[in-house]
Amino acid sequence: MKQTPGWQAIEQWLGAKGLAPFAFQEEAWEHYLQGRSGLVNAPTGFGKTFSLFLGTVIRWINENPEDYRRRTGNGLRLMWITPLRALAKDIGRAMEEALRELAVPWAVGIRSGDTPVSVREKQKRNMPEVLIITPESLHILLAQKEYPKRFEHLETIVADEWHELLGSKRGVMTELGISRLRGLRPGLRIWGISATIGNLDEALDVLLGNLPGERVIVRADVRKAIEVESILPDEIEKYPWAGHMGLRLLHKVIPVIMESNTTLLFTNTRGQSEIWYHQILKECPELAGAIALHHGSIDAELRIWVEEALHTGVLKLVVCTSSLDLGVDFRPVDTVIQVGSPKGVARFLQRAGRSGHRPDAVSRIWFLPTHSLELVEAAALKDAMAENLIESRMPVVLAFDVLLQYLMTLGVSEGFNPDEIKHEVQSTFCFREMTDEEWTWCLAFLVSGGEALQVYDEYHKLHLVGDRYYCTSKQQAMRHRLHIGTIVSDAMLKVRYLAGGYIGVIEEYFISRLTPGDSFRLSGHNLEFVMIKDMTVLVRKSKSKKSIVPSWNGGRMPLSANLGKMLRRKFHEAMSGKAREPEIAILQPLFELQQLLSHIPAENELLMEQIQTEDGYHLFVYPFEGRLVHEVMAMLLAWRISRRHPITFSIAMNDYGFELLSDQPIPVDDTNADELFSLENLNADLQSSVNATEMARRKFRDISVIAGLVFQGYPGKSKANRHLQSSASLLFKVFEDYDAQNILVRQAFNEAFFYQMEEARLREMLERIGNSKIVITFPQRLTPFCFPIKVDSLREELTSEKLEDRIKKMTLWQ
Amino acid sequence: MEDIRFECKGNHWRLSAGKAAFWEEERALIVADLHVGKAAHFRKAGIGVPANIVQDDLYRLQQLITKYNPARLIVVGDMFHSSENNEVQYFRIWRNQFPHIRFELVTGNHDIMDPAVYASLDVTLMESLTLGGMYFVHDPKDRLPDTGELYAVSGHIHPGVWMVGNGRQRLRLPCFYFGPEGAILPAFSAFTGTYCVEPDPSSEVFVIGGTGVYRV
Repeated sequence: MKQTPGWQAIEQWLGAKGLAPFAFQEEAWEHYLQGRSGLVNAPTGFGKTFSLFLGTVIRWINENPEDYRRRTGNGLRLMWITPLRALAKDIGRAMEEALRELAVPWAVGIRSGDTPVSVREKQKRNMPEVLIITPESLHILLAQKEYPKRFEHLETIVADEWHELLGSKRGVMTELGISRLRGLRPGLRIWGISATIGNLDEALDVLLGNLPGERVIVRADVRKAIEVESILPDEIEKYPWAGHMGLRLLHKVIPVIMESNTTLLFTNTRGQSEIWYHQILKECPELAGAIALHHGSIDAELRIWVEEALHTGVLKLVVCTSSLDLGVDFRPVDTVIQVGSPKGVARFLQRAGRSGHRPDAVSRIWFLPTHSLELVEAAALKDAMAENLIESRMPVVLAFDVLLQYLMTLGVSEGFNPDEIKHEVQSTFCFREMTDEEWTWCLAFLVSGGEALQVYDEYHKLHLVGDRYYCTSKQQAMRHRLHIGTIVSDAMLKVRYLAGGYIGVIEEYFISRLTPGDSFRLSGHNLEFVMIKDMTVLVRKSKSKKSIVPSWNGGRMPLSANLGKMLRRKFHEAMSGKAREPEIAILQPLFELQQLLSHIPAENELLMEQIQTEDGYHLFVYPFEGRLVHEVMAMLLAWRISRRHPITFSIAMNDYGFELLSDQPIPVDDTNADELFSLENLNADLQSSVNATEMARRKFRDISVIAGLVFQGYPGKSKANRHLQSSASLLFKVFEDYDAQNILVRQAFNEAFFYQMEEARLREMLERIGNSKIVITFPQRLTPFCFPIKVDSLREELTSEKLEDRIKKMTLWQ
Repeated sequence: MEDIRFECKGNHWRLSAGKAAFWEEERALIVADLHVGKAAHFRKAGIGVPANIVQDDLYRLQQLITKYNPARLIVVGDMFHSSENNEVQYFRIWRNQFPHIRFELVTGNHDIMDPAVYASLDVTLMESLTLGGMYFVHDPKDRLPDTGELYAVSGHIHPGVWMVGNGRQRLRLPCFYFGPEGAILPAFSAFTGTYCVEPDPSSEVFVIGGTGVYRV
């Protein structure tokens, strides 16, 4: 291989720069040139792009050794799927530079939501050899007439940052898109690039589906040196037991920022970032101009400016959210601060890796706890990193909402033959276990609207013409094209100054609670709400001292299983006095108080606390298993208790434990606590408890939008469709009452529980509890353990009481 | 479907858990926001909502008519959801059962069909209706200035309230709302959501839960 003209050309080109390919790059080229598909596992900043891109260039030169310097207009050869629009530009730039220096006249195109119409039209007529595209834009291509023509020469698909797509419905979109392209081009080579995750083998299987032939994983064995330092409060006794802001440690953060070149300060929510930005500026006015804010609601142009400014090193500090998790290197960044728990080892590593981006540089990250017990998490993170215990990303399976959208996509372009497409769909990992009934249901849902129908019905979406299904309504087709995608957000409104000037976007539901004259904070500005006009929020600058910071939805991330396990270990170490880390040592007074008020569970114990307050009767349980597991367990327990006699629970949880709260005493004591964790009837009880809760209803929100049931409307045209507006919760209600067999409703129930944890894991945990001693205490006041759970306002509900009895006990809220 | 008796400005109303009110003195059954044709409208646009909601809604209305034996049915707006479709034809057949009952529609923002269609369905259109000290108008915003003579009865809002209890319990329920400026009826159709109102301290609120209706 190394003697081929293409390989030689690459080696010479690198050699001229005094460089040589990394071993993993050569390995990847070799496999690629042998015709294999696979996955490259490499972190950002180590030439992962070239490990695959140059492979395709070598192949091209080898196949056209005489005239590769002259041949243009060769059709699309390489499709590069990327999760982030912002990444596309930088990758494209790097590719173009290499091609120019190699004298290969390939064109590199970008296709995303930001691509101008004129460029899209040009691409339609003349596809570039390399197309960098998002999963959504790929589906938009598939929604166009004559799309197969554009892929006639396609040889390679690369899914970049595959770990980001895997585990989300965008990953399912990618799988389905690839299945169609494989149908068109059976010889395709499919590759992924992924950071290290716990289930790389599975990641490869998800990407390739049932693709025949050999598949390989190429590992770039490079490990970054990472230093973690916690920012400790001076007096732990005065540090809050609950909370998520962490501003009390601001004075300790400032010196860190000042001593660094450029700092990224990560917060977990957009609201938090707004507040931190504001407070830092208040504390250090001299930073004005050298500090910026970056999150998903900020004007895209401003975000791009911030990113550019990070490159050039003119910024001292950027306060950001996960919006800066991914992406290209910002070389000047030398310090990263994480405010609050990152909730996962992989995310923490990724954020740490945002500093010291050169291969040999050490990444430094500071951890700032927002409440006392979070310090345990810092210690757990350190251990998990030391043991390289990185999370798996669970792939999404049987996402029928995405399938319905995809079938409609094919329906609006070239139509589809059901047998052919069913075969392709089943070739994906996501739908490999789809039954014939489920497929038939999906098809029927699009053709006849689902159920057995009266003659009068006027439903129409797809029609059978010959042996292919088509969408014949122009209006529906147009609406569908505008709604391709799986990222569901609240209705967003633009925010503009009265005098002109765009600031950003904001959720409609936040604005709907404001009255004119109220002040709120967005993008670092203090704004006064004036009015809403033409789907735009008009504001003026506010001088008010009190302004509301929007609390955006979706800010709450669950702790990963890995971190949960590590956390449990740390707690036990801490509680047994074995831990030596500074983070744990400083918490000693808190643990002593816990012991005084209640109990500190040993490794083979499960602690329950029964406490009565003015809110009612609380039962706290501490399995230390992480939020997701607790959610499921809390539901299970609530369900099992509620079967003994009619009772209603309000349920809250965090990563350490969960709470059942009721208006009547909770009948749990030494004699019956064991039964609550029994493995008997586990499945049936889980099913019933999920049915009895609001969780499924919440999941249905995204499902209904993705499947095209809730029409979100589009700017300027919202009025024409006002008779088609409904909410996901209303649809959920009517489906539950009138069409309980609906697969999408079933999917919502499944997503609510069975995605977030495998049954096996729950069994394992219940077994562990079965072998533990249950310790029930009755503290006279709230304990350090229970306090953060009790103050949580995000709650689930489960009831076995009659509606009538509940109403009679309640009063009108006014 | 239980009901509860309520004296409203000297008139006797029975508020039914079936989301309708029966006015004894006038022998009038009063409903709001029926939205006949809504599911069909969605389905026509390719949104596969269940098709049988309208049968259920109209069956419930039929039961109420049988129970109270009214002389007239007053619909306080949004009787039909949008343009004419096959659910409207279903309604036409259903309507034939009650030729002796007068159907009066105080039009709402959704009632956009041609007047001839309403005529053919034997539904009388009016922008508002004044009857026995009551002023019926769809949107509460269109109430007359308060002179103390007429009490407004509206729909449009699909009113609901939050109920709260010990142990941080919350429950959102549709309701009949009798405020100082007028009454708002719950939305009749099962294919409607609720909008939570903040009750005035001097108001009377009746929530609907399952087959019961409760004064709160």
